[in-house]
Amino acid sequence: MAAEPDVLEELRRLRARVADVTGALAATSDGLVLAHDTATIEPEGVAALTAAALGVSQSLADATSRGAFRELLVRGQNGYVATYAAGPQAVLTVLAGQRTNIGRLHMEARRSGARIADLVGGALARAEHHA
Amino acid sequence: MANTQTALKEAMTTIEGSLGVALVDYSSGMALGTVGGGKELDLTVAAAGNTDVVRAKVRTMEQLGLKDGIEDILITLDSQYHLIRLLKGRDSQGLFLYLALDKNRANLAMARHQLRKIEGDLEV
Repeated sequence: MAAEPDVLEELRRLRARVADVTGALAATSDGLVLAHDTATIEPEGVAALTAAALGVSQSLADATSRGAFRELLVRGQNGYVATYAAGPQAVLTVLAGQRTNIGRLHMEARRSGARIADLVGGALARAEHHA
Repeated sequence: MANTQTALKEAMTTIEGSLGVALVDYSSGMALGTVGGGKELDLTVAAAGNTDVVRAKVRTMEQLGLKDGIEDILITLDSQYHLIRLLKGRDSQGLFLYLALDKNRANLAMARHQLRKIEGDLEV
């Protein structure tokens, strides 16, 4: 996709802005990697798991009348993995250590999610225009 | 004893010149409660940002080998005071009170005194 370098740039910016973020990836809602900035994990597997978690989260939100999916935060013993909506077609998944500032992560990742939504939406619109 | 929201409201109403007040968990950077603030002072942003301030100071003291506690941190702007008070109670470790004051209306000594008293009454 044409937006890929811009999405990668956004992921790098997010990593630079929040301390203790160890990886970030953007994926389509159905689990395909758009761009990733991760050293320690395998992005395809995480994108596929993100899509699965997204499906369950959306069902849970629907069943409890919480509306469209916005974000999901998982805290493990060694840190956090968080997924943020990036428009209707994409999601942003972020890995962070246990010392990360979650307040700041939410702030920055929501902003990044919105930017990725614009980039992906724009690229899809252009692709459809050319088709 | 006062719960979080009551204590924050008390700070906002009794401390002259208060613009906003928040109780923040600096292990996560999230606010447990906020009162005041608004468009000009987003207390969620302030909670996350000042968490970095507190962590930086704690780390600096460790590196300096200072075996001491932080009572409060004062940041003086052109038109405001920002006061960060670390909570010391057994159940409130890892929390701080954040208070933004209008410099023209506030009495800093009085504000510190009142904030200390509000901390004493606060039950998290």
